[in-house]
Amino acid sequence: MKGKFWKVTLVLLLCASLVSCGGAPSSSEGIHSFRIGNTQDIDTLNPLTSELTIGFEIFLLIYDPLVRYDENYEPVGCLAESWDVSEDGLTWTFNLREGVLWHDGEPFTSEDVKFTYDTMIEHEQGFMYNTYLAGITDIECPDEKTVVITTDAPKANMLMNTTPILPKHIWGEIAPEELGLYTNESPVGTGPFKFDSRSPGVIKLVKNDSYFGTVPAIDECIFISYANTDTMAQALSLGEIDAAFNLSAAQKSQLEKNPNISFISGQIPGFTQISINLWDDPASGGNPLLRDKAIRHAIEYSINKTKIIDMIYGGEGEEGTTLLNPGQYYHYEPTADELRSYNPAKAEALLDAAGYLDTDGDGIREDANGNKLEFRLITIADNTDEVKVGQMIASDCKAVGIGIKIETMDDGALTDEIYAGTYDMFIWGWGGDLDPSVMLEILTTDQIGNLNETYFSNERYDELYQEQLSMIDEEERREAVFEMQKIAYEEAPYIILVYDNNLQAIRSDRWEGFKLIPQDNGLYFMNLTFDNYVNVRPVAAK
Amino acid sequence: MKSKRIFIKIIYAVITIFAVLVFNYFLFRVLPGDPLAVLARNPKASPEMLEATRRLFGLDQPWYVQFFQYFKNMLTGDLGTSYYFRQPVASVIGSRIMPTVIMVGLAEVVAIILGIAMGVVAAWKRGTKLDLGTLGFSLITYSMPTFWLGMVLVVIFSINLHLFPTSGILTPGMTYPTIAAMLADYIRHLIMPMFTLSIVLFGEYALTMRNTLIDVLSEDYITTAKAKGFSNGYVLRKHAMPNAMLPMVTIIAMNLGLVVAGTIQVETVFSWPGLGSLMYEALKARDYPLLQGVFLLVTVSVVIANLIADITYSYIDPRVKD
Repeated sequence: MKGKFWKVTLVLLLCASLVSCGGAPSSSEGIHSFRIGNTQDIDTLNPLTSELTIGFEIFLLIYDPLVRYDENYEPVGCLAESWDVSEDGLTWTFNLREGVLWHDGEPFTSEDVKFTYDTMIEHEQGFMYNTYLAGITDIECPDEKTVVITTDAPKANMLMNTTPILPKHIWGEIAPEELGLYTNESPVGTGPFKFDSRSPGVIKLVKNDSYFGTVPAIDECIFISYANTDTMAQALSLGEIDAAFNLSAAQKSQLEKNPNISFISGQIPGFTQISINLWDDPASGGNPLLRDKAIRHAIEYSINKTKIIDMIYGGEGEEGTTLLNPGQYYHYEPTADELRSYNPAKAEALLDAAGYLDTDGDGIREDANGNKLEFRLITIADNTDEVKVGQMIASDCKAVGIGIKIETMDDGALTDEIYAGTYDMFIWGWGGDLDPSVMLEILTTDQIGNLNETYFSNERYDELYQEQLSMIDEEERREAVFEMQKIAYEEAPYIILVYDNNLQAIRSDRWEGFKLIPQDNGLYFMNLTFDNYVNVRPVAAK
Repeated sequence: MKSKRIFIKIIYAVITIFAVLVFNYFLFRVLPGDPLAVLARNPKASPEMLEATRRLFGLDQPWYVQFFQYFKNMLTGDLGTSYYFRQPVASVIGSRIMPTVIMVGLAEVVAIILGIAMGVVAAWKRGTKLDLGTLGFSLITYSMPTFWLGMVLVVIFSINLHLFPTSGILTPGMTYPTIAAMLADYIRHLIMPMFTLSIVLFGEYALTMRNTLIDVLSEDYITTAKAKGFSNGYVLRKHAMPNAMLPMVTIIAMNLGLVVAGTIQVETVFSWPGLGSLMYEALKARDYPLLQGVFLLVTVSVVIANLIADITYSYIDPRVKD
């Protein structure tokens, strides 16, 4: 019996080794296949319900908006060829492109635009795009090539609207209650890429030969999701994939050394911050001492952000200041007087002047009534980087006499604490957009109970927010947005730690034609354009 | 008589499954965190959008209505819709069940066969280098972190030796000329995760087999059998093994029942789309229907495996008269 057992095992092992000697299969002759690795598998192919950034990126390739961003982030016509707006700014007329076909051959018309926008507005769908449609009161289609949109006030972000246009002849057949559940298994759009197939962790797109714009140089674009970044980086080095994004700082040194790989670290709208509970109410569970601005400022002065970025983010990021990312037109850079960079002496001076002294010699300051400056800082256990950041902040604060107790939990538990208002401070991040309204809205009074976790409320801030929504003149809007950021920076409901970069890489020995978008500190992917996907092509054979 | 006992066991099994399901139902909902709250943390979400989603999933109903609805639907085979994937739970689980069963199942089988074999050899040759070697190897691999082992193997076999791919179940985007070609690619991808898991599981079987067999070999009837002049092989096969196998049957049944629970560490390192990582994703997203669906599957599997083990005892061990 034993002998037979060993024989069987030997045969199995032999078969295994034979099979493994096949070597890495290459794609069929003549087909240019571009494989991209990333860290998220798409949740659903339905643009109305998808929540993940990878969905956003893929819909950008399959569907088109009326107006998209070019490589300089200027609005350029996509499904709309031209447009104009009435004198009072309330009526927009979009002239649509002729001869555009859906991937299934049906003609694209203005009815599709009206249907898409109406559906999102009336049925409150379109999670990622809904806010771009705020203020629209009426949509008319005088003919197949024209869409007239009426708004209740001039709409500053009308041309920043990246909402994908969906085909009415497919989505119109679905009952409104079913829209959220529609799986959209074979998405049909007008975009430069057509959906081909999907399996767990893999989405395959093929080029759209009849695209009205530049037809992609590659034949296939395949998105592959990896459960961990180390394996993804290995796959890139081995050539199993051609590009990757969302890499982590740990892989930076290995990938940078490889001459076949172009590794970049670019800024992506958004930041990592400490949120502080400012809820001033008997029901609030937040430490009331945090409602003193002097303490919030002192905390920020005591944090060595440069060291955090170097140690935890591998140097890939910039020190955080105001709500909008540096490099963006609307970013407000605090003046030398306003800026609160690392200065523990200043922190201590602030606390002394405000009357917080360490009377009992235990290293932690107290207020006049003996209440200790001790606060809970919550971090999400899964985000290992943020946990380490929390630990560094705790030791920085201890040095100036503020006690920080770190707690880790999962994001579900944290959101519970947020909505109950029982936290003191937590570390999390926001992803942003080119439209400043998206980030600025978070701290408005209206968003308390929804996005505004800090319970921050400032009348002037709210006023300015409403005003800038209608400011068509960019410079005027910028002034208003600057003032908003100043208020937020001064009141400090957030201590913005870092604008963390996205780490990406492409096999530059095999591919060319891609570039950084925007030119300075830009990205290859997740840059709100599809230019790189359309332009990338194999390095010309020598 | 026997079939009546079996029937009663089956009834108990069904009751157990039901009790676990009810318990799980409430356990998930006691966890802090609301499935929609995580969805809400995006600057582009609107309050109306969230309300609409809440209504869509019936989360605005009182808890007893939701409870009844869930169990009523389950009895008709409708496991609900996943909050995260927006697809029927059955299809989400269905797409991941085969990779899990194949990878974990095969790894278990290999570990069981090799573990029992080595355990027997080690027990028989107790005290020799072979025994100590097996013991040492088992203890080391059993206590090794699975993900670490996986990554070391990836470095050795994928990166340095280029023998196997790093991850996934198939080469993405490939079109295969024949079924055999696809099968070959699948096997190439399967070998590393399976191998990793087998190594880690091996220790449990080898150690248990060895220790149980050593106990049995010290019994009087073994000495008697040898004194009667039977060959070592015969004594092992007919007298020692049948007695030593009882504890092994328990362990094997439990572990085979847990095959459908997947293995999150190996699935993460090799990007293997299995039920272990699905369970974790569902938990993070507080995706109750999906969690309940996965737990239903695991519960049924474990209970059935135990039921089979239970029935098997009464056949292989005449002392068990349940």
